[in-house]
Amino acid sequence: MSIIQQHTQASLSDAWRTINIDALQEDSCVNFDTSTLHPPLPEISDAEVRQLTNQVRQLLRGGDAEGALRGTLESPVYNGRDEAKEAHLQTVIEVLQSIKASDMTPMLQRIYASPGGSECLDVLMKYLYKGMATTSAGSGAPAVPRTPTRVTPQQTGFSQMSGRPGVSSESTGAAMSVLLSWHEKVVDVAGMGCITRCMTDWRKV
Amino acid sequence: MAAPEVHHLFHNPIADHSFSTDRKTLAIARDTTVELYGKVGSAFKLKDELKGHDKVVTSVDIAPNSGRIVSCSQDRNALVWEPSPTGYKPTLVLLRINRAANFVRWSPSEDKFAVGSGDRLIAVCYFEEENDWWVSKHLKKPIRSTITSVAWHPNSVLLAAGSTDAHARVFSSFIKGTDTRPEPSVWGERLPFNTVCGEYLNNSAGWVHSVAFSPSGDALAFAAHDSSITVVYPSGPDQPPKAVISINTQLLPFVSLIWNGEAEIIAAGYDCEAFRFKGGLNGWALSGTLESKARPGLGDTREESALNKFRQMDLKGKAKDDTQLKTIHQNTITTLRPYETSGSSVKKFSSSGVDGRIVIWHT
Repeated sequence: MSIIQQHTQASLSDAWRTINIDALQEDSCVNFDTSTLHPPLPEISDAEVRQLTNQVRQLLRGGDAEGALRGTLESPVYNGRDEAKEAHLQTVIEVLQSIKASDMTPMLQRIYASPGGSECLDVLMKYLYKGMATTSAGSGAPAVPRTPTRVTPQQTGFSQMSGRPGVSSESTGAAMSVLLSWHEKVVDVAGMGCITRCMTDWRKV
Repeated sequence: MAAPEVHHLFHNPIADHSFSTDRKTLAIARDTTVELYGKVGSAFKLKDELKGHDKVVTSVDIAPNSGRIVSCSQDRNALVWEPSPTGYKPTLVLLRINRAANFVRWSPSEDKFAVGSGDRLIAVCYFEEENDWWVSKHLKKPIRSTITSVAWHPNSVLLAAGSTDAHARVFSSFIKGTDTRPEPSVWGERLPFNTVCGEYLNNSAGWVHSVAFSPSGDALAFAAHDSSITVVYPSGPDQPPKAVISINTQLLPFVSLIWNGEAEIIAAGYDCEAFRFKGGLNGWALSGTLESKARPGLGDTREESALNKFRQMDLKGKAKDDTQLKTIHQNTITTLRPYETSGSSVKKFSSSGVDGRIVIWHT
């Protein structure tokens, strides 16, 4: 990293400090790897994700939606290739879409009351936010990692509701409304604490 | 339960507050000054202003026995205010830090104080008689980020610190000549300066807002920004702790916590009210709020005349005035402190917050 900070015309106005003093300090936060602060997470391979997806589909076919949901939430992909993470997100969304609106709250309450349930709902919340950030949700097609150039500046659910060329806005909207109604129900059960944990957690899905 | 005593001092945030032992003097960190309030009847009246810092005062603490006040500020200094017949005399303490000082607390022995700072270190300060000067020694390793809070063990040697690197740590701050050798405890036996006696992280690893030792000093609790509190029971030096219990709550994060005996913790924060946790080595659980929701005069169920209702709707676009929170504090609570104790249990505690209120609660 260069010691002299790069400035454009726009950023110069309030640039009273042009030297990045943090870079000069040996023990400063820019000079060490923040990931060493946490214990390492086990890496999950694509094959494991595929295997889990199959198990979850089987549960879904057997009518055990709650088991399927728990299954997906108990093994989140924190450390793995982007494709594996994306595939797991698709599985979660598939399960979420297969659950009737009237079953959501009782199911969440049962999960929350069970041991480790609070953690499960935190994971679910992470997937809801990730799902809202990705428009390929629910299309069923293999997920294509979107390039940043195609992302609208405000990557919120609502900007994507308006539809975008190349993506079927109808299915996106449907997926989004599923995620939004789940979000509401999860907040009802797990409270605001669930959202703050989602924001502070360093284990990203 | 008796109603809490509410003192609305002003409309500015209170960064920190501290009562003297006789509870007649109240020190408030407000903007760049420390304000001293004296109890007149049942109210607190401004008595003195301690001006010495030129940036926001972040923390203030009154030593219970000597009456000395220590304050620290974003101007990277700490001041010790010595009471004298002509008022308080400040002494500057060189902390040798180049970021803001965030948090200061006297040790129970009152010979030392610890300042947590944004410079990724804790300055442990003690008075050197021969030079007539406060000296600071740095606790540096393995802190990786800003120190948000510190708490002293009853033996005045061990110091707990919470940091934005999401760790709560326990250090030894043993100063030769000032401290006597502490009794061996669960935290360790030989404790030279900067021994790390424990380093704890909870699952989702939010940054730590507040730390506190239990009255015996054998357990440590910390509140983190992931809306959780974590209680650690160590088993001995270089051994994994007996239990690390994390309670994730449905609430917003807690900013401050205190112990009430060994089996109760009171925590408050962004939800603007205080909550009680109960438990022990086998587990902890949230047992409820300390706020009695059905306070009279809150006007929750007040009858409104139809005329009034429609007038409100016309004027404000809504029938009910919902600009008031239902809690006593109208904004985040930033500091909790024991107010009246008997033995290890807290009879009353005080809270202060961003809304400029000091509230004294019965536990």
